[in-house]
Amino acid sequence: MSEQRAMLEVIAPTVEEATAKGIAELGIREEDVNIEVLDEGSRGLLGLGGRQARVRLTVKGSQEDESAAPTDSSSPDSVDEDADNALAIARETVSELLEKMGINAEVSAHHGESDNPNYNPPIIVDISGKDLSILIGRRAETLNSLQFITRLIVGKEIGRGTHIVVDVEGYRVRRERTLRDLARRMAEQAIATGRRQKLEPMPPNERRIIHLELQEDPSVTTESIDQDPRRKVTISPVDT
Amino acid sequence: MKELIEYIARSLVDDPAQVEVRSVNSGSSTNLRLKVAKEDMGRVIGRNGRVANAMRILLKVAAARENKRTHLDIVDPE
Repeated sequence: MSEQRAMLEVIAPTVEEATAKGIAELGIREEDVNIEVLDEGSRGLLGLGGRQARVRLTVKGSQEDESAAPTDSSSPDSVDEDADNALAIARETVSELLEKMGINAEVSAHHGESDNPNYNPPIIVDISGKDLSILIGRRAETLNSLQFITRLIVGKEIGRGTHIVVDVEGYRVRRERTLRDLARRMAEQAIATGRRQKLEPMPPNERRIIHLELQEDPSVTTESIDQDPRRKVTISPVDT
Repeated sequence: MKELIEYIARSLVDDPAQVEVRSVNSGSSTNLRLKVAKEDMGRVIGRNGRVANAMRILLKVAAARENKRTHLDIVDPE
C-alpha cells in the first residue's frame, strides 16, 4: 500500500457523507479503516454560517511499520472492550453533568488519535447544541472544569486515569488551529526580529499545542515561563 | 443545582452514603453546604482546591440557568 493512500482527510456537509466519500476514494471497505471525526460540522452558530464536517480515514495497519513503539498486543480484545467501556462511561458522565446543570445538548464520544505512541489514544467527548457558549466560559474556564470533573469521575469509575477531552461545537479543534497559526506567526517574528517573543498566558493544554507545533523547527526554541495562572510560552530564535 | 453537587460528590468519594448537600435560600441567592466523610474531604477539595473550584464553576452555569446566584461551602465533618 502506498504511503500517501494510508491516510485521507475528507470534507463534506455531514460526517456520514464525508466518510462515504473517503471510503469510495480509497476503494476499500469501511471495516478496513479507522474513522476519526475531526470536526462534526454544524448548521451554524448564531446564524454565522455552518462548518463542513471533516473526517480522517486511516487504513488499518498502515502505521504499524512507522511507529516502533512497543504496544501490548497480548490481549487486544479485552483492551478494546475496556476502551469501549471507558468511552460509554465518559459519554454518560458528561450527559449526566449537563442534565444536572440544566443544559440541553447532544453528547457523543469517540476515540481520538494519540500524538504519543506510548499513550492510549484520548477519548473525545463532543457536545453539540444551541447556545452553548456558556459551557466554554472565559479562557475556556468552564469547559476545562467540565473536562477535569469528567476525568475524575471516569477515572474513579474505571479505576485508572484516562485521557479525556471534552469539546463543545468543535471549539477545541478551532482553537488548536488558531494556536498553531499563532505559533508559526510568532516564530517568524522571533526570527525576523532576533528577539524572544512572549505569548499570552495559557492553560497547560494550549501551551502544549504551541510547544508541539514548533518542536521540529530548528530555527526556534520554546519555553514556558512564570507560574500559573500567568504561565506563558516564549519563542526564541536560535543563533545560526 | 443541589443535584449537580450531589452527583459530583457521590461520584468522587469512597463513601457516597455520607454525602449530604443542604440548600439554604436567601432571596435570589442559594447557599449549598456540602458535607462528606472526613476521609473523603480531600477528594471533593482536591490539590490546591482544584476540585472545589471546578465544582463552583459548573455550579455557576447551573445557577445562571435559573437566574440565581450560588455559593458552595464544603463543611467540616464533626
